[in-house]
Amino acid sequence: MIYALFIIVFIICIYTGRHYWFTLNRLFGFQRHPYIDIDTADWPPVTVLVAAHNEEKVIANILDALMTVKYPEDQMLVIPVNDRSTDRTREIIDKFVQDFPGRIQPFHRIGGKGGKAAALKDAMELVNTEVILIFDADYIPGAGLIKQLVAPFFDLEVGGVMGRVVPLNAGTNLLTRLLDLERSGGYQVDQQARMNLRLVPQHGGTVAGARLSALREIGGWNENSLTEDTDLTYRLLLNGWKTVYQNRSECYEEVPEVWPVRIKQIMRWAKGHNQAMMTYGLRLLLGKNHATLRERIDGTLLLGVYAMAPLTLVGWALALGVFYQGAAPLHGVIALLSLTAYAALGNLAAFFEIAAAARLDGTRKRISLLPFLILGFAVSIISVSRAAFSQVSDLVTGAEFHWDKTERFRKVL
Amino acid sequence: MNPYLAVAALLLMVSLMFMLPLIPALVELRRKSDALPLSVVQQNAGEIRHFANSFRDCIKGLAPTLQRCVAGGTTVTGTLADGEEYVVLGRADEPLLHALGQRDAVHPLVITAGVDLTIPAGVTLSKEIYAGGQFIGGEKNNYRAILGEKNIHLGASTHVTRWVHAVGEFTSDPGCRLNGRISSDALIRLRTDCSFLRLNAPRIEIGSAAPIENATAPNSLLPTSGSSAPSKRVFHDGDFEVQAGEIIRGDIVVRGNLRVRSGARICGSVKSTKDLLLDDGASVGGSLISARKMRIGPNCAVHGPVVAERELAIAAGTRCGTLEHPTTVSSPRIEVAEGVVVFGTLWAREQGQVVASQ
Repeated sequence: MIYALFIIVFIICIYTGRHYWFTLNRLFGFQRHPYIDIDTADWPPVTVLVAAHNEEKVIANILDALMTVKYPEDQMLVIPVNDRSTDRTREIIDKFVQDFPGRIQPFHRIGGKGGKAAALKDAMELVNTEVILIFDADYIPGAGLIKQLVAPFFDLEVGGVMGRVVPLNAGTNLLTRLLDLERSGGYQVDQQARMNLRLVPQHGGTVAGARLSALREIGGWNENSLTEDTDLTYRLLLNGWKTVYQNRSECYEEVPEVWPVRIKQIMRWAKGHNQAMMTYGLRLLLGKNHATLRERIDGTLLLGVYAMAPLTLVGWALALGVFYQGAAPLHGVIALLSLTAYAALGNLAAFFEIAAAARLDGTRKRISLLPFLILGFAVSIISVSRAAFSQVSDLVTGAEFHWDKTERFRKVL
Repeated sequence: MNPYLAVAALLLMVSLMFMLPLIPALVELRRKSDALPLSVVQQNAGEIRHFANSFRDCIKGLAPTLQRCVAGGTTVTGTLADGEEYVVLGRADEPLLHALGQRDAVHPLVITAGVDLTIPAGVTLSKEIYAGGQFIGGEKNNYRAILGEKNIHLGASTHVTRWVHAVGEFTSDPGCRLNGRISSDALIRLRTDCSFLRLNAPRIEIGSAAPIENATAPNSLLPTSGSSAPSKRVFHDGDFEVQAGEIIRGDIVVRGNLRVRSGARICGSVKSTKDLLLDDGASVGGSLISARKMRIGPNCAVHGPVVAERELAIAAGTRCGTLEHPTTVSSPRIEVAEGVVVFGTLWAREQGQVVASQ
């Protein structure tokens, strides 16, 4: 029991060190934004895919925004991927098609497998440009975003691009405010540090881009994946393509406003991530592939992030067991010092990252909400652990995953 | 002491200590003093002319005054809506120019001139200037920002702190420090020892005589970087050299240092994960990207964007982009020799420097 506990503590310490490394790099290290200055070029043709399933509340906003972006009109085609919507999504899209002839080509999907990856896979039949951008329907791209997301593709190694996501409904309630802080830490520090350090920035599947030839090389979208973005990141990496992160390519999104929706969302992410871990973990770390050593290590750690929640719960249980067993894990003084050191530094690692992100974002007061993140952490650890355990039970019983669309909260136009 | 009371007191104290950090959190949650979404630039696409356009909008209201001043040859002073004092010149106003002529004087005025404007040497103009005609600046002047409807010429050792936009040509004498954004709708020409950060014009000439007609022939046989059909990507692990005069039809990714020897032509894009060196007369049909340092030239031609993540040096006679296909040349530190021509954007995030041709 004690050795299992030691292994868990060791893994947790690795992740703690990783948090600090990323945060310190972001605060004091060399910042890589190699493509953001490309503002003049022969802009290539680009297809913008807008994934939409029952999006009557938000689809008009994104189509409006895309029609006003600063990208050569004759080089950009928007394809709203209307995936079996039963609300007014189709009607709204068709109205835009009429209003902007030649600039929007609708793809109304009426059957087939559920899920974003399956819908995108079907929509690829309409795509014939080398650069593809992907947005979820609740996003609102700014005027310069398309150029910023296309620019990295002038680099031949780049197979995928990811921009920064910023919650638009940040101030609605405690949940949205906590998600705002989490997003800040995740993008402003975590993703950018991985970009700086040439590790593995993660493709997010929205405010993102992909190179068609890279996508074809890796076999297209994986419709069996629960998180097509994580899946894409790793298949690109294994095939010698880089995913790059553009911190200054920001785009507004809508975050969940109620806890049940958030819990469903994070459970889906956890399952998808764990699925990718099982599929690609060993191949990435030990297999013959094009990834560098640091990409292999970071990529493996990234795959394991959602496994940390159940592992932590197991660690707590083991610690209790060891305590009641009366076993002394280490010499008393060493144990006390280690515990104190971890309490002082380890527990604060993730908060340190978020606090640094808030500072980099130039915000002040919102950081006061940091203690409430304990609440977010508690919900996450339980939800993610539930997801992991149900994934194992699904594996045994052969149950299929049911796709839950994230509910929207914007008012219908 | 009653043990129950002691336990209750202990629990209360622990609870209070636990609640302590939540007090500012609860206050912020209730007050929502920092609850707006993070500011994301939605309308401005990072356009280099953004400040110039905003300034033009800002002084739009002065247009009738300017017309009257030009017609009558008069000068008018006043205050803008934002509280800035301004002076509108209908002619090359001698008293004002005389006042400007006092060396090292600082003039906190927005100047709007409907005529040609010649600024004497050694003055500091700490507010924006609008010139409806030609703008000619003396030596060792300091400007905040200039918007010129015709040509702008800055004297030697001039310092610009924010931006300049010329509808006509922009030229600067040796030793100017051009911080911020410098743009022209026609041409930018910089002389030796000028430093710069961000330049944009259809044509940017470095030095007095850009030998463009004598440079390597345009890449007429090369596909453009904007082509939608991808060319074959060839990997080389470790350092690699393209031999002199060799023609490569495709894209190259080198995971190491790359050297392209004299006269070699690459009909595609190039990426090096370390240093990249283009020898005399080499040409690249697509983009040219180095994850570290890059040295180009002399007499090279690059069609697509040029990005060096650490440093970039461009030697005389090199051309980046074409008039029909402008491009971006970007690196934190750029050293560019006289005789280089860039069509589009030349952007040094930290330091750009014009050096004499060797």
